[in-house]
Amino acid sequence: MQLVHPLIWWLWALLLATFVIRADNILIAAAVACAVTLVVVKLKSDNYWSKSFALSVRLALLIIVVRMLIAITIGVPMPGQILFRIPSITLPNWMVGIRIGGDVTSQRLISTFHEVIIIATVILLCGAANSLASPHRMIRSLPRAMYNLGVALSVATSVLPQIVKSIGRIQSAKRLRGQKTRGIRAWRGIALPLLEESLERALDLATAMEARGYGYHGKTTKYRAEPFTFIDLVMIASGVYLVLLSATLLSHFGVVVLALFSLVIVASPIAMVKR
Amino acid sequence: MISFKDVSLIYPNAERTILEELNFEVFEGELVLVIGHTGAGKSSLIKLINGLVPHHTGGILSGEITVAGRSTRQLKPGQLSDVIGIVGQNPINGFVTDIVEEEIAFGLETMGIAPEVMRKRVEEVLDLLSLAPLRNREIASLSGGEQQRVAIGAALVLNPKVLLLDEPTSALDPIAAEEVLSILHRLVHDLGLTVILAEHRLERVIQFADRIMRIGDRGDVSIGTPGEILAHSPIAPPIVNLSKAFKLPEVSLSVREIRRRTESIRNVLQDIPLPQPAADNNGEVLLSLRKVSVAYGDKYALTNISFDIRRGEVVALMGRNGAGKSSLLKSAVGQSPIISGEVLISGKDPKNMDGKALIKHVGYVPQEPGDLLYGESVKDECLLADKDNGVAIGTTLAIYENLMEIPNINAHPRDLSEGQRLGLALSVILSANPDLIILDEPTRGLDYVAKSKLVKILQNLVIDSAQNRSVVIATHDVELVAEVAAKIIFLAEGEIVANGPTRDVLTASPAFAPQVTKVLAPAQWLTVAEVVNALGESAI
Repeated sequence: MQLVHPLIWWLWALLLATFVIRADNILIAAAVACAVTLVVVKLKSDNYWSKSFALSVRLALLIIVVRMLIAITIGVPMPGQILFRIPSITLPNWMVGIRIGGDVTSQRLISTFHEVIIIATVILLCGAANSLASPHRMIRSLPRAMYNLGVALSVATSVLPQIVKSIGRIQSAKRLRGQKTRGIRAWRGIALPLLEESLERALDLATAMEARGYGYHGKTTKYRAEPFTFIDLVMIASGVYLVLLSATLLSHFGVVVLALFSLVIVASPIAMVKR
Repeated sequence: MISFKDVSLIYPNAERTILEELNFEVFEGELVLVIGHTGAGKSSLIKLINGLVPHHTGGILSGEITVAGRSTRQLKPGQLSDVIGIVGQNPINGFVTDIVEEEIAFGLETMGIAPEVMRKRVEEVLDLLSLAPLRNREIASLSGGEQQRVAIGAALVLNPKVLLLDEPTSALDPIAAEEVLSILHRLVHDLGLTVILAEHRLERVIQFADRIMRIGDRGDVSIGTPGEILAHSPIAPPIVNLSKAFKLPEVSLSVREIRRRTESIRNVLQDIPLPQPAADNNGEVLLSLRKVSVAYGDKYALTNISFDIRRGEVVALMGRNGAGKSSLLKSAVGQSPIISGEVLISGKDPKNMDGKALIKHVGYVPQEPGDLLYGESVKDECLLADKDNGVAIGTTLAIYENLMEIPNINAHPRDLSEGQRLGLALSVILSANPDLIILDEPTRGLDYVAKSKLVKILQNLVIDSAQNRSVVIATHDVELVAEVAAKIIFLAEGEIVANGPTRDVLTASPAFAPQVTKVLAPAQWLTVAEVVNALGESAI
């Protein structure tokens, strides 16, 4: 069985995020987002942390919607073609340059959309790394010399998956009290118990690690060697390559080619990695 | 091996000391059982021994604790990991890896043991705990008992002299519990391991204990042989209550012992007719399942389940971990992925009811009753429930007061004891006045006193209420079932394997028989109360 090391998944995601931000192009961002979704769908396991990708998709969509709504209602006036007009509120003098309502121009919507798609893609990449990399294997590969940091990181990386695990349970409990499970008010009721429980679980993990001597002995050994494999090399190399490519100036045609190229490159782990 | 000298423990901002002036010594190769009410400080005591309290949790400690000659004052838990192994209350939360073999190796890895030595140690532990066939399995896919064994193996791999376990069997079905306990018994006898064990379900562990440590409500601790301690403890398993009822000179702890001493009484009981089973219930059908199958992905959790729950019944749902009990209960509130068949709540499909309509018919208390609660205080919670359920203000609080003594109306629901929290969740559910009440594993973490309270509450819900409610309980707790349930539905691998009166189902299987039945077999008595009643009538 060929597995990718969890650190490689994270590094890969970070490199791709750098690529997307530096390329600063909506088409390329969309291509990476599609490819990453494909990778997660094909390679994720049945473990609970795999579900964190679905959560990041929701979060990304929420951010897109909220950001677009803000772009329509509040913002700096920008020239361009006026699409429609909403009633505006006059703000006092000292808030010059900001307005609420007024003309909505195509220019402003396009630039906001561009920006928010890139943010959403970066969020998807984080979600992908979270759901592909087993937090347990991740913890073991963290440097043990920095004991407190190690525990903190292990707690942090396991919190998101734990949250995902608990959401379903607490949501169904809400329904058992005859509550709506959708809407912001319902979420307020879910958030607190969720956070408490996730932290409790993460602390349980830290306690268990401590009780088993984690971090007290300088030298550690590996039960099974986890050598870097060819796949690890390819994934990192392709990430670095894409980041370098993003520095070149491209024509319109070049952007389309680069988008297609990155789609293939990003999706390539599907062909190499077995579940 | 372990010695406590004048040990007291108090948590910051706590109203009382958890433990006071504790002095005792545990010798090598002893199995010591720690008992006490929920919240009395059993977990704290266990964690004190390896220093997780106070190093990890805070708290002020006075006195001196030494384990194998080392003081825990200066040493952190990690530095004691080669002397003490610990298995926490929810082992699943403490697993660091995904695969059985790697989990067992983790402790060795952190110690920097050479790979060849490690391989040998892992192999030994796998054999010792009969885990070898599971070595490459994912831990998440194992049953509760198997996970518990992995956790014990992971703790044992460093060859500790002391093993600490916090409620190792409370989440397990009787068969899995037996598996874990017999392994502990073997470790104590073959390897001379010292074991300290906190547990509520005494009927399971009592026969293995060398000594018992009872933590009182005021942090006072008494230590002695099981016989001495249990003779005066309000916390006692049915076998002890039975020996008291028979007026035996000393309490018996094992089935074998008490059977030897009670031959004549058993002969008398053999001839007394058993209590009559309740007449067939022809009440209105509240919940009806017709050929229901439930599947998660391509895994079937339930296949072709059909049964009815009628008004005025208490039905227990039993079966091993993963037999499909929770899926079945959830299908009654429309939360299981049903692929064929139909579920009807008073004639309607729960999937088509909205939350408000559903809670008027079914009240469901999930495994974690705390999931239902989100108020800031008991008072707040009750007011929220009044509002949610559209009842007069104060209704929920009145129900809660009726159920049990209310702790502190301003306490946060998280700070209540397990029993109090269960009571609060139940009150919240009851204020909507449903006909059918469903409880998923209500006795996990409840001591005998809290449990007997629950039994009374459940009986009142069904018998004394004018409404004639029905209750369905999914549980591993055989003794609870013997006390409250009239009928049992027994599940195995998603299918119903038995569905009948409690007496018939429980006495048919030795693993699921309550203690009283084991003692008095072949007569089919289930509870101490039944026996006392019967003996009273025949006037011995």
